[in-house]
Amino acid sequence: MSNSSKAFIKYIGRKLLFLVITYIISITIVFILPRVIPGNPLSQILSGLSRTGQSNPDAIRAAEKALMEQYGIGKPWYVQYFEFLGNAFKGDLGTSFTYYPRKATELIAPVIPWTLMLLLPATIVAWFLGNTLGAFAAYKRNSWFDKGVLTTSLIISQIPYYWLGMLLVFFFAVKLDWLPAQGAYSQGLIPSFTWEFIGDAAKHYVLPFLSIVISATGGWAVGTRLLVINELGSDYVRFAEYVGMREKTIFNYVYRNSLLPQITGLALSLGGALGGSLITEIVFNYPGTGYLLFKALTTLDYPLIQGTFVILIASIYLTNFFVDFIYALIDPRIRLGQEA
Amino acid sequence: MFKTMIAPLFKNRKFLIGLSIFIIFILLGLLGPIVYNVDPTEMTWDFEQAPSSTHPLGTDTYGRDVLAQLFSGIRSSLYIGLIAAVISLVIGLLVGTFSAVKGGVVDDVLMSVTNVVLTTPSILIAILIASYLKVRSVEVIGLILGFFQWPWFARAIRAQLMSVMSREYVYLSKMAGYSDLKLIIEDLIPTIATYTFMSFVLFINGGIMGEAGLSLIGLGPTKGISLGIMLQWSTLMDAVRRGLWWWFVPPGVAIVAITASLLVLSTAMDEVFNPRLREE
Repeated sequence: MSNSSKAFIKYIGRKLLFLVITYIISITIVFILPRVIPGNPLSQILSGLSRTGQSNPDAIRAAEKALMEQYGIGKPWYVQYFEFLGNAFKGDLGTSFTYYPRKATELIAPVIPWTLMLLLPATIVAWFLGNTLGAFAAYKRNSWFDKGVLTTSLIISQIPYYWLGMLLVFFFAVKLDWLPAQGAYSQGLIPSFTWEFIGDAAKHYVLPFLSIVISATGGWAVGTRLLVINELGSDYVRFAEYVGMREKTIFNYVYRNSLLPQITGLALSLGGALGGSLITEIVFNYPGTGYLLFKALTTLDYPLIQGTFVILIASIYLTNFFVDFIYALIDPRIRLGQEA
Repeated sequence: MFKTMIAPLFKNRKFLIGLSIFIIFILLGLLGPIVYNVDPTEMTWDFEQAPSSTHPLGTDTYGRDVLAQLFSGIRSSLYIGLIAAVISLVIGLLVGTFSAVKGGVVDDVLMSVTNVVLTTPSILIAILIASYLKVRSVEVIGLILGFFQWPWFARAIRAQLMSVMSREYVYLSKMAGYSDLKLIIEDLIPTIATYTFMSFVLFINGGIMGEAGLSLIGLGPTKGISLGIMLQWSTLMDAVRRGLWWWFVPPGVAIVAITASLLVLSTAMDEVFNPRLREE
């Protein structure tokens, strides 16, 4: 085996270890929080349960039983912890209070595709759009184009996703009545692979998609512009200019080098976007993980809250891992074992 | 110090614009509730009124005056931003400096913690913590938010200090028998002062945005009015789909204006202090 592939395997191994550790830590947070926050966790959760308007005594008793099972109340804390951890790795995150006796994971699984379908394309489109705009602005530094892109991006990047969503709904759904204001498809339709359904879902897709794309593009443009400007001032660019290399060739080098940190940024932002899109989903009543979490929060359905949390965290860590993997493939410094 | 660092700032047009807008909002938050003396929580029978001379920004579903809510909202959102920023700054400085100065195991441990917090989406943990708290004061929200936005700052501080530590004058100080503390205060802190100030500005920004996000899903402060809580109520009452624009537009405009002015401030500082970005 060559040195380079050994270094590569070592690098991936380290990232994999980090993945497992971070997952354990986040599950531990879920385990510890209800125990360290003042007040007896069980009584607090149960009193929360009665506040949700759940008046059926059978349902409350059932939830109580589910709680006892989930938390293993009465056993020593370390036994509780390892049971909790073991269950989490088996994909068992407890039983929902509001939808008893359904498991949290059963409720979360069907809504994940909706979130991914909204989030992944929007984030990637924004990434490409922002990087291109930013690099071009840096290339035409101090031109009207640069100033225009910078000013617009600065303002747009500060518009919260969800507020932009509210504005879009107000203009395009309420005032102009061009597009539907909420949901992922019209009521009465059943999700299926028919043209009718796909067309209807596409119409519902436009506004939430745009609200994420527009607000994320600005941030990328500002970042890339700065990276490219910094790169343009580096020694190898001066040298290339000095020896009379073509401007376009130099710019291609600069663009590629500046994009590398933005790939890590993409991974982090997929995580951040998940948080951001949670709220976008609430504004649009879009049936993804964010909307489910919102419903769980309003009914204080703790197992469902925790379940959504753990699954979202896991998916973010996994995305990060894959991006690191791709990063190592394209960046020779990492492939050769010399980290940047 | 004034001549070399502060004076050039005031010659930068971006800095002046950003600063002016931010100061206007500080004044709105501080003086607004005093000059426009209307109780933002008082419910009246004048509900869902469009802007008029009696209610310059109209009223909401409970007949509460939107302008009065906006003023106290700006006040508490700025306050939350400030708390979050101070906390992030302190944690980031401590972690970054210790990592760089102590090195070795301390560095490894602190940087692993930093990386874990960095990869974990802070808004999710904030949601989880906030959901367990029955009563949430403005201060607690600032605290929760401040607790998660320091990692990028700590890493940047550490990297900068590591490069400073390898310079000759630091060796000289070490040979002269400086303690770690004296070394940090005299040789290291001055080199990161401007970057720290820039980051502080961005932390306020993050705190304000974070509060709005938490509040929108019903996990904001349980008492009082903030910009996020205004947005939450307008969402709960379906103000957007019913066309009550005067209710959800003003808090959003305030959030964007404050955070954009802060961002402009920090980019202007970057331009002034970073020679590569200086406009020729």
